[in-house]
Amino acid sequence: MKKKYTFGWDQGVSVFLVLTVVVGGFISEYFATIDNISFVIQDVAEIAIIALAMTYLIIAGEIDLSVASILSLTSATVGFLFRNGTSFEVAIVGGLLVGLLCGLLNGYLVTVIGLPSLAVTIGTLALFRGLCYALLGNEPVNELPENWIVLGYENIPGTFLPWSAIPLAILAAIAWIVLHYTRIGRWTFAIGINPEAAKFSGIPVARMKLGLFAMTGLMSGVAGVVYTLRFASASPDGAVGYELSVIAAVLFGGVAIAGGIGTLWGVLAAVLSLGAIRSVLQLIDFSANALLVVSGALLLISVVAPKAIEIYQSRRNSAFVTK
Amino acid sequence: MKTLVKKVFRVRELPVFLALVIVVIITGTANPEFFTLSGFQDVTLGVAVVATLAVAQTLVIVMKHIDLSVGSTIGFSAYLIGDASSQGHGFWYCMGLGLALGLTVGTVNGFMVAYLRLPSLVVTLGTLYIVRGLFNEVAGGNTITEDMVPGPINFMGLNTFFGIPYLFLVAFLLMLVVGFVMRRTRSARDLYAIGSNLLAAELGGIPVARRVFLAFLATGAVSGLAGAVLLARFNTAAANSGNGLELSVVAACVVGGVAIAGGVGTVYGAVIGAILLQAITMALGALGIPQFWQLAVNGTLLIAAISLDRYLSTRVKPTSIMGAK
Repeated sequence: MKKKYTFGWDQGVSVFLVLTVVVGGFISEYFATIDNISFVIQDVAEIAIIALAMTYLIIAGEIDLSVASILSLTSATVGFLFRNGTSFEVAIVGGLLVGLLCGLLNGYLVTVIGLPSLAVTIGTLALFRGLCYALLGNEPVNELPENWIVLGYENIPGTFLPWSAIPLAILAAIAWIVLHYTRIGRWTFAIGINPEAAKFSGIPVARMKLGLFAMTGLMSGVAGVVYTLRFASASPDGAVGYELSVIAAVLFGGVAIAGGIGTLWGVLAAVLSLGAIRSVLQLIDFSANALLVVSGALLLISVVAPKAIEIYQSRRNSAFVTK
Repeated sequence: MKTLVKKVFRVRELPVFLALVIVVIITGTANPEFFTLSGFQDVTLGVAVVATLAVAQTLVIVMKHIDLSVGSTIGFSAYLIGDASSQGHGFWYCMGLGLALGLTVGTVNGFMVAYLRLPSLVVTLGTLYIVRGLFNEVAGGNTITEDMVPGPINFMGLNTFFGIPYLFLVAFLLMLVVGFVMRRTRSARDLYAIGSNLLAAELGGIPVARRVFLAFLATGAVSGLAGAVLLARFNTAAANSGNGLELSVVAACVVGGVAIAGGVGTVYGAVIGAILLQAITMALGALGIPQFWQLAVNGTLLIAAISLDRYLSTRVKPTSIMGAK
């Protein structure tokens, strides 16, 4: 029953995405141009990459509010290492490693110590952000190597796609296959539906959750590298508040906050929808504030609509029974 | 004797209170300035906003819910109060506006969480965005400056009552009132029952939906009125006022022993938690540690507090997002 309905929701979001694009095309002739599509993809890349991992985490019944801070800490680490004389390649590897470690710390606190992830990741949100300032002080690192930062603003030669589309596409494909076609994906759903039952059926629940947190950290790290290249700068105060955008996108994509339900396709459609809406609003000179209101409203709709359908169906069913 | 010791250790606020005492002693020794009246005023004035919101948030967290919309509400309310005042409206009209905003947000949150049974994390995240968006639209690039702040609010932000900042008194009185209500009245005790075991509370005849709704309404109302506190504290308000405050508030509650898993904790703990976080911020400055470390220390402290809590309590089982299911 429940499964049937989520199937409908991610399709609904996909339809919504198509509608947004079509309506956007009518509203502004610039919207459907190649340049703008490239811009939208670049604009949502970081949020999309983190959302891939967050989808797993929320399906497994956990949450991570520290992702934006991990993103920023990765960026700060890259900047810090580079400023202190390591090569940029090594600095990136170092940044990704830090992202992974951050995720492992979250996972350790949740699975080994047994703390609620909401509280833990509010704590690490502050901790990781604080470490950004400890690393960089108030001075952003702006002198990054030119041959790297072109990746942040140029398109892949011969296409209209930004470079960030490559990691996004590869990671999305992997995340999609793993979530819906492998044992790890099925375990993730099983843990979210009922962790006790999952444990007793032999699923290594703690190890899985630890892995999911670590993966979320690493993905935030990847997003951090993309972010650094896009803005050609490593600053301690980047991406503040991104965690809420990521979570809003994942939930709007049909993932249930209680865990156990969701599809990766729905989340990707949701991320792109939000990006497209943002672009349309910018093109028609609507204030950025409207996007906040729209994001919030979509988030509420994503929980109210299923509830309304459920109530409607149960009324209809009970009417049928009493007849 | 043994039972007495046990009882003292069972007081949830004890660890955080001891931590506060230790922080104050260390800081005071390193920098005697901290023990002076002005040191006291710095801490109490600095904590007023978070303490006020933490008291309200406690109502929600003990029910195993959460309200993330408070930061947007308090910021918008502060702006509305200043804006109305600059147009020549009286003090009570301005406060009424703030209260009306808070009640509106509280009603929306409460209705969706209590009657539609939607997850509070998602609902209040949604209203956080919506209120912030509306606020930014209304405020635009305007800033409320000191001369637009209503007289009484300006007065309260700048003055003290026998050395105690008025703003802290507001938070303190609110804490006493809510603390008394939560300990003594049956309907507020119900909130603990709802947070410990929802099913049992329902079967026990508690009108769960009504209680949840009223708690969210109260939290909204306090956040709306607290706009005056925020305005008084900074004597200014602009589109980013109150941004991110929700996480500081939740952190203060959790540090103060209000478990995110619901069912335990008091407003006294929440206020002590807020003071502790504020005192540490001040302490870092007094000890000559760069301000940059302040956030990192706050985060570590939050994690340490919940780890300790977990260690001390055998009752709470491990966890999903909000703790034990």
